[in-house]
Amino acid sequence: MTIKAMQIICLTLLAVWLVGCPKPPLKGDSSEADAITVPEEATEENPRAAASLQLTEQGRRLVEERQPDRAIRVLEQAVSLHPTNGRNYYYLSEAWLMKGFADQAKEFNQLAEIHLKDDNQWMIRVAGQADRIAELEK
Amino acid sequence: MGYIYCMLKKILKYSFLILILTGVALAIYGWHLSVQVEKRFSARRWSIPSTVYSDTTLLYPGQRMNSSLFSAKLSNLGYRRVNSVPSQKGEIRIHTQALDIFLNDLKTPWTERAGFLAQIDFSEDRIGTIRRQDNGETIPILELEPEEIMQFFGQERERRQLISIEQVPEHQIQAVLAAEDHRFFEHHGVDWRGILRAMMTNLRHGAVRQGGSTLTQQLAKNYFLTPERTFIRKLKELILAVIIEFRYGKREILEIYLNEIYLGQKGSVAINGIGEASYFYFGKPVKRLTLSEAATIAGLIKAPNNYSPYRDMARCQSRRDTVLQAMRRWEWITQAELEDALKQPINAVGFIVADKKAPYFIDYLTEQLNTLYRPEVLASLGLSIYTTLDTQVQTAAEEALAKGLAHLESSNPELQRTAPEEKLQGAVVVMQPKTGHILALVGGRNYSVSQFNRITQARRQPGSAFKPLVYLSSLAQFTPTTLLSNDPKSYTVNGKQWDPQNFEPVTEYTVSLQDALKKSFNLATVDLAMKTGLDRIVEMTARFQFSTPIKPYPSLALGAFEVIPLELARAYCVFAAEGVQPFPLSLKGVVDENDKILEHQHLNVERIIPPPEAFIMNSMLQGVVKEGTARSLKWRGVTWPVAGKTGTTNDFRDAWFVGYTPDILALVWVGFDNGDPIKATGAAAALPIWADLMNAIPQYRSETEFNIPQGVEKILVCPVTGRPAVGGCPDPVDVYFLTAHVPDEQCPLHAKDGIAGKIIKGVKDLINDD
Repeated sequence: MTIKAMQIICLTLLAVWLVGCPKPPLKGDSSEADAITVPEEATEENPRAAASLQLTEQGRRLVEERQPDRAIRVLEQAVSLHPTNGRNYYYLSEAWLMKGFADQAKEFNQLAEIHLKDDNQWMIRVAGQADRIAELEK
Repeated sequence: MGYIYCMLKKILKYSFLILILTGVALAIYGWHLSVQVEKRFSARRWSIPSTVYSDTTLLYPGQRMNSSLFSAKLSNLGYRRVNSVPSQKGEIRIHTQALDIFLNDLKTPWTERAGFLAQIDFSEDRIGTIRRQDNGETIPILELEPEEIMQFFGQERERRQLISIEQVPEHQIQAVLAAEDHRFFEHHGVDWRGILRAMMTNLRHGAVRQGGSTLTQQLAKNYFLTPERTFIRKLKELILAVIIEFRYGKREILEIYLNEIYLGQKGSVAINGIGEASYFYFGKPVKRLTLSEAATIAGLIKAPNNYSPYRDMARCQSRRDTVLQAMRRWEWITQAELEDALKQPINAVGFIVADKKAPYFIDYLTEQLNTLYRPEVLASLGLSIYTTLDTQVQTAAEEALAKGLAHLESSNPELQRTAPEEKLQGAVVVMQPKTGHILALVGGRNYSVSQFNRITQARRQPGSAFKPLVYLSSLAQFTPTTLLSNDPKSYTVNGKQWDPQNFEPVTEYTVSLQDALKKSFNLATVDLAMKTGLDRIVEMTARFQFSTPIKPYPSLALGAFEVIPLELARAYCVFAAEGVQPFPLSLKGVVDENDKILEHQHLNVERIIPPPEAFIMNSMLQGVVKEGTARSLKWRGVTWPVAGKTGTTNDFRDAWFVGYTPDILALVWVGFDNGDPIKATGAAAALPIWADLMNAIPQYRSETEFNIPQGVEKILVCPVTGRPAVGGCPDPVDVYFLTAHVPDEQCPLHAKDGIAGKIIKGVKDLINDD
């Protein structure tokens, strides 16, 4: 084996070592992406969100009490304060369902889905809501 | 003798006949007047103007505040500063880092809360805690009452708050009777003793010093008659007074009188009735008026503007004392009460005849209201009209626009004009993208000079501010890293040659799609539009429901077609609101006098584009702010996540900036009405106004990022090729792609040039050497 052949073998081995496991495309760090997509919780850093949760809770109670008009008004205030909290859209959709407006209920259900996509429990509820809207549309 | 007897008989006969005829005529006339009285009293008695209110204001711990705007808000809501602990609704005490506030009652169709004493602590520029003073309980969110913006007056221009007689304290009734008609409960509409006494007094002084009119006569005069002083009118007044007394009870007459009586003037608007007067003079409902205050108001009836505490305090006090002494004379108050009341100072709350608030917003609102109610209904039925207006944002927008335009004029004297109607103009609209609520609307520089609403009525070329719609249209075919030609090219439009140019010469002849938007390259945008298809862009634009025509010409890509600014702002809302377009709302609801909701406008959304596409646009428009034509925002204090786009039209006729966060969106336009060049770009003319506005309303800043929906992936790409980066790519960058369009081929350029590529090249060279 000549020196040249040795060089070729060494270089080939090095090349195999370096390129044998092709580097995958450098996708964004998933944990970082999750941190952004998870709706912000009510924290001291996000007082708007904290205040909004009060209204969300108030809206939920009004939906339960079957007062859709008052619930919508309160939940709209909640959306104004914290537009990325998907629960507001979920309850808005409930209120519109209660009023029998499938189109509006559907839009808010879709918004709820966007904002609650990382919460499996909520996604089950959102899916159930979508089924009820489909029923209403029939 | 017989002749005389015969004559006398005739005279008597005719006299009797005349008497009978007169009696019949009087009876018919009385019946006629009686019908008039019945008609007038059974119908609506007064025209009550409808009132327009702003939105309520939410306060919560941690909220950023602009202290000067917040102080103005409290002042506009009628809160008065006191030096001791507030003891009455509407009083505030200001400490260095806290505020004691006795809240007014809150009553809207949707919520109701009684006023209470609260303390709001501040920590730097934020609210620390909000606490009830009575039980120490902390309050997570507090809603302040809506602010009165304007009233729809009829021709009368009267302000009146109706009260029932049950609401009026006895000392107020007694004060009015002492001042005007102390025998009211004893006579039957006409007080002959009073008339005789007045006649004697007037004869003694040789002039009219005293009137003998009862309250009922005054009411008859105000309600049915003209003010001239003739015998016939006086006779009519007497007959009407008797009829009114015959048909209505004393307390009913008194209630109508107390609501009717004229009690002063606020600018061009008359203050009628003690319900309105008690607020106008003492800032409280009539039931809470003290004896001294009640006597002051009663004293005004004689000559409201002469005895007004706002005109002459000494004269007012003297008149009040006269009323109090009359009350004592008729033994309606004790000596001790008299002495105590005489010692009281008259603390009138003061008033401001404010300029028209948010006039362009009101005009826009009125257009919508006129589709629901006739103007005479608005001027008479006392409706309460609740709107989306945030007066703090409105003030901030007005101030930012005024400052920005003044700065432009001072920095470039060529922009100065002498004639007010020719001056440099500007307009601002602020919306909540998710709800469509219009928080503020400034349709021009000076409403008194020009009422033309440049947000809702103007049609202006948007220039580069239109480009996002072109880029959005291309997302089905291209990605943010697709390379575009930035080379000069000629196009033929309607048989004519069109040679678009970049704003300034550039050396980048090939640019990525996202960089082209970031730097607002015209040539690359036209290239993209032609590759995307003009029909496709027009089709996409139609989804956004612009009411102005947009045609498939290449110049469409550069915003050559005119748009209405409000419609452009609404289009940008779609990006901020995950692809749904909210209906722009200025009106929230209308309620009648009995609190019955007549109109209820809700948040109404319509999906225009899928959420992933909206997010890609947000991401690219954030690039404009971070590194593109709007990067100067960060030097102006805007350091939180913002997406936006500048716009400048041909010959600098229009300067635009539309910027938004997930919470708030504002559009700013600057230009001359006649199309004269303003010699500044959107970044230089409109963007600073936007930054000033946003810095002034920190309460709308959550500093959150745009939500990333499903269907979007973040990939590290090579800045040169726009393909997924490999180890050798210099300074790779994160780019968001629609999942369906993630490029699968790695960067071919640096894959070759990387270490591995060099090794392979070396191997090949070695083999070749053999």
